[in-house]
Amino acid sequence: MLQVESITKRFGGVVANSDVSFSVDEGQIVGLIGPNGAGKSTMFNMISSIFPPTEGNILFCGKRIDLLPSYKVAPLGISRTFQNLQVFKNMTVIENVMVGQHMRTKQNLSGVASMLLGIAKNERKVYEEAMDILRFFNLELLYDQKASSLSLGKLRLLEFARAYATEPKLLLLDEIAAGLNHSETSEMSELIKRVRDSGVTILVVEHDMDLVMSICDKLVVLDQGMKIAEGAPKEIQANEAVIAAYLGAEIEEEVV
Amino acid sequence: MKLQGVQQTKWWGVVVFIAAILIFPLVVTQSFFITQATFAGIYAIIAIGLGLLMGYAGQISLGQAAFYGVGAYTTSILTATWGWSPWLSLPIALLVPALLAFFMGYTMSRLSGYYLAMATLALGIIVHGLLVEGKGITMGASGFYGIPQLSLFGMTINQGVPYYFLVWFFVLIVLILSLNIVHSRVGRALRSIHDSEIASSSMGVNTGRYKMQVFILSAAFAGLAGWLFAHMSYSISPSAFTFDASILFLAMVVLGGSGSVWGALIGALLIRMIGITVHTLGEQFSFITSDSEHVIYGLILILVVIFMPKGLFPTVIDWFKNTSIKRVEKKSSVPVTPIERSVSE
Repeated sequence: MLQVESITKRFGGVVANSDVSFSVDEGQIVGLIGPNGAGKSTMFNMISSIFPPTEGNILFCGKRIDLLPSYKVAPLGISRTFQNLQVFKNMTVIENVMVGQHMRTKQNLSGVASMLLGIAKNERKVYEEAMDILRFFNLELLYDQKASSLSLGKLRLLEFARAYATEPKLLLLDEIAAGLNHSETSEMSELIKRVRDSGVTILVVEHDMDLVMSICDKLVVLDQGMKIAEGAPKEIQANEAVIAAYLGAEIEEEVV
Repeated sequence: MKLQGVQQTKWWGVVVFIAAILIFPLVVTQSFFITQATFAGIYAIIAIGLGLLMGYAGQISLGQAAFYGVGAYTTSILTATWGWSPWLSLPIALLVPALLAFFMGYTMSRLSGYYLAMATLALGIIVHGLLVEGKGITMGASGFYGIPQLSLFGMTINQGVPYYFLVWFFVLIVLILSLNIVHSRVGRALRSIHDSEIASSSMGVNTGRYKMQVFILSAAFAGLAGWLFAHMSYSISPSAFTFDASILFLAMVVLGGSGSVWGALIGALLIRMIGITVHTLGEQFSFITSDSEHVIYGLILILVVIFMPKGLFPTVIDWFKNTSIKRVEKKSSVPVTPIERSVSE
């Protein structure tokens, strides 16, 4: 479904990704892991077309997407969440989700006319659908709250719900469990599995190893911009290079 | 159709507004105040457009007076020089500023940062310069005269109460259109751009195109105001379309509250009232000159930005909401769930 082909990204003299290739098959949950500064977020931003790669191609369902602006990538069926939370904070919870439905509710000329007269007919339908999505993400009780008043855990759920509302084929989750406590994290991993079971392929960037190991079908490990391993969680846990580079780095971090 | 938790047009507000328009000339009969109220309406149209641009597209225009002037001169030339009917020149007076905005927006394809503010500032200066220097067409600094009055069903719409109603009828249309746009999916998309452009475009919102559309709409509204202004008076001059005027429109939006259609309208009324007050005081005290007006507008801009960054109208609304929520909480300690709420409706 998604093919990343020998991607290199340079920011001036800094090489963020160097000749990285991997693929994501339909129906999988794939984890992109690695220590800080490994180039995971850079890779994510290229897949969602926030910026283009310096070299290489990214193909989605056989189509090149690396040169498209990001608002054109979304209609192809790619949606994402943001590590640093980009919720629409001055809007209510349900309005956030309704923006997620934006491109699925294209308007024709009569739609525009009814909008100007204030009698837009599909608003009710969009609203009901948004409410269903909120129920799926256990956010229905907060539907009329301003997003700015939500806790971090709820904000992460809202980002997830909003991305899901675009009806993506591929959903990119950028450190969706960062800052969550234990029970919130396990709730999140259940949710990710439920979303996968509803027919959405998922690519996650994650630091929480328990979460990654328990939900992912496949892991891709980056270190200093390069791919050092790819395989099932069991294989990765036993991989010498990963233990040396990744787990070693984590122990060092903990010492500091 | 009430959708709880979603911003929607509150029609009772529109009803109150219509009632206020109808009652005002019954209560206030001096022609001076009727004329001032008519001007306030013309400014309100520009302020509503600029409020959409600032509050919903997150862009600032420092040259709204240019679109206003282009609208006014377009209809003046078409009707006085070429002999068109004013009603026929109305769409052209909207179209020309809109096209100008389109080309400006197109060349700055993304409309990001403060580029639009700088570009519109330059446009304002250029347009004013052209109006003054293009003597063959615009009659230069001394002003363009001989603009025909409007007539409807063979009746001339005179300055005074008839023109007051005409202007406020157009304000009503602009208001309703703007409220409905803001409360539609387009409005939601715009508000989302304001909060996070990157997330918005990841949801498939073509952020550049929406910003451009709002800019064009604001220019067309200013053109409409120009058309109304031109046909109200026998003559117009470039001095009405200076940079000062653009700042005045900006002050209206900032005072009333950008990001609120009602706020822009109220801001226009308040600024106009301040202007009249200064003018009246100036007749009694010689030390209050017409320049004092600009000092006061400047002070208002500074004070609002420091103490009330959202503007007057949203601040007051928030205050009302907070106090009413507290009252509800006092009445019942049990939180109301959405299910109970929907049952009670």
